Amino acid sequence: MGQNEFNEQFFEQLLEDYFAEADEHLRSIRRHLLAFEDSLRDGFEADRKDINELFRSFHTIKGISAMAEVSAAENLAHHLEGLLRSLRDGNTGLSQDSLEAMLAGTRKLEQVIASRKNNDPIPPINAEIERIEIIHRSADQRGKAEPQQPGTPSRSGGSIKFRVFFEPSKELAARDLTVTTVRERLEALGTIEGSKPVIRGEGKIAFEFVIAVADGSDASGFDSLRDDGITVTAYMEDGPAPIDGPHDPDLADVEHIRPSNVVRVDLARLDELMLIVGDLVISRAKLSKKLAAVEDLLPVEDSRDLHEINQSLEKQLRNLRDGVMRVRMVPLAEIFERMRFVARDLARDSEKRVRIDISGEDTEIDKLLVERMVDPLLHLVRNSVSHGIEEPEDRLAAGKPVEGVIRLHAATVGDSVLIQVSDDGRGVNIDKVTERARDLGLLAPVDGIDSDLELLNVLCSPGFSTTLEADRASGRGVGMDVVKRVADELGGSISLETSPSSGTSFSIRLPLTLAITDALIACVGEQRFAVPQLAVSEVIEIEPGSIRTLENLEVIEYRGRALPLIRLSRLFSMPGDGRETVQAFVVNEAGGAVALTVDRVIGQQEIVINAINDPLAKVPAFSGATELGDGQAVLILNVSEIAKEQRTK
Amino acid sequence: MDRILIADDSPTIRRMMIASLRNLPDIEIEEAGSGLEAVERLALGPVSMLFLDLNMPDIHGIEVIQFVRSHKSFAGIPICVVTTRGDEESRRMALAAGADVYLTKPFSPDQLAEQATKLLSRN
Repeated sequence: MGQNEFNEQFFEQLLEDYFAEADEHLRSIRRHLLAFEDSLRDGFEADRKDINELFRSFHTIKGISAMAEVSAAENLAHHLEGLLRSLRDGNTGLSQDSLEAMLAGTRKLEQVIASRKNNDPIPPINAEIERIEIIHRSADQRGKAEPQQPGTPSRSGGSIKFRVFFEPSKELAARDLTVTTVRERLEALGTIEGSKPVIRGEGKIAFEFVIAVADGSDASGFDSLRDDGITVTAYMEDGPAPIDGPHDPDLADVEHIRPSNVVRVDLARLDELMLIVGDLVISRAKLSKKLAAVEDLLPVEDSRDLHEINQSLEKQLRNLRDGVMRVRMVPLAEIFERMRFVARDLARDSEKRVRIDISGEDTEIDKLLVERMVDPLLHLVRNSVSHGIEEPEDRLAAGKPVEGVIRLHAATVGDSVLIQVSDDGRGVNIDKVTERARDLGLLAPVDGIDSDLELLNVLCSPGFSTTLEADRASGRGVGMDVVKRVADELGGSISLETSPSSGTSFSIRLPLTLAITDALIACVGEQRFAVPQLAVSEVIEIEPGSIRTLENLEVIEYRGRALPLIRLSRLFSMPGDGRETVQAFVVNEAGGAVALTVDRVIGQQEIVINAINDPLAKVPAFSGATELGDGQAVLILNVSEIAKEQRTK
Repeated sequence: MDRILIADDSPTIRRMMIASLRNLPDIEIEEAGSGLEAVERLALGPVSMLFLDLNMPDIHGIEVIQFVRSHKSFAGIPICVVTTRGDEESRRMALAAGADVYLTKPFSPDQLAEQATKLLSRN
């Protein structure tokens, strides 16, 4: 049903909606399951609100999965919903078993939906369903005689209740006073304990809410409601019958997922928009050049006017670009929350105690970058839990609190976003890493690791990671090459700080967006190249006398160390302009810093990155092409690839 | 002109229902994302028929049915419950409360349009 009857294009769009809505619910599910876990640990009953929210989320996923013909998801959600129902009705209590069955079921549900999204084969769900059914069966055996334990403390404290009446009308709706906005305002004031429609005199429909406000809290918020003609009175426990739904009273206190003014837009459409902005940027650069060329031919006044117009055009374009960029930005909160879930899972498996501290989650970043960062962050968090954070007894012995802390932090720094994953664990065991790196031939037997940068480079070597993966007991390294590679591909960088006492901290710096970036323009002979500014740590000048040759390798002394030179003129077999003193970009790369020499750096400019898609034209040394406004294409150097290639020679 | 009110908390489902009904002649479609919103729509303007989900935030669909049936100006509005499978108890309760038809998801567009035509012709 469905696919053949809804037209195909509509069904495709619908699937997009389905994935987005399912994802929202899965996020909410994860959040509430964590709350369950806290309750369980602290010996509280599960919060009814959490139970109801979870129930509804599973219920909705079941419904939309049925419509989207994802029957495995429908089936699994159906069973999870059933488990929640029996939890809600008191037939089963919240236990470690039921929580774990829900966690496992949710994970599988995510996998099923993700597989459908990626058109991968749908994984089997039997094991998860069997697990849920076992809980049901054991609950049945105990019978309903064993409901929730009495005397379990409740989390709710003292509160005062109010009864609120709202009578909707077209006039009020025009002022955006609707049952939904009123409820939202009430939710901001306290907890809505009940809501129902009532009929008042003359057959008018009104809504009655009962709201509990924490004792001693400021009730003046009700004044603005009164000003809008809404009746607020004290609620008497022995007054008119409390508001109970005739069918399902539990649902009455479900917190409403507020309808919002949010529009979902396919990322591809925003990409299109960004391309158009990119074209505009280039057109303006052309205009600017042309203007400079004809400037002398024009009367002074006209020339000045044109300049002013050109300048405001530039400013407006920058605003437009920022505007489009802002639309593409999403907060990191969602992916951070996901990491919380992952960390708890891992900690549970390993019997370590881990807490995740999140800060700066409001920091926004391009949607595409967020997607790409999921795996790297997963690797880092996973490493922190399995390698960084010590066993409880080791932590006690080291004078640390039993519970380890993993900090996820984000901040906007200029035109880039900084994402940090730190732990207060044992730090990277440098001796062990050194030993292994020597065994693997990544380090010469006499070489050691003297700095965090060198350590990072060793950890991020592909060979290093794989070996360590097989040997989970030793230090960090699993998948670090992936982390590094993604950061590179996104035009970002990664750094590391570690110490045995204070733990390990990884910092990833990413550009805010991918399509347009600031670049340094340099030339070699006649040819110009662009280098993304974020990849360059410094521009230096090199006197011919300072170059030494070691084993066919040109090096210069840079901050007390030997820095290898890569001459672009030699790399691309192009004649330079013959000057002796050259300039170079210092680039920190996986294998260590290198200097890329050019004839000279000629400027800094905002560039639009165009991908090179033709497989015949695609070479690792270039990450794309751009136009500087004079009609000529300029290649964008992929400095990390160049450095890597050079090293393997 | 018949006004059809669709009450379901899932925007995806609402969209599918709208797509299923769009081609019916002389209709206007209203949406509500919760039980209370559904009642509000009824209060704000005439509604010819109601497609109603049961599990919604704030008040339950059964409560909406009970309320509608207890109010003399709405008592005659045809109600088609559209809900997720597997809840026989709620089918019984919905019909007892006064629902005219009980459909389960997944529904087909034709099925929905057919019910709308049938129920609207009753007015």
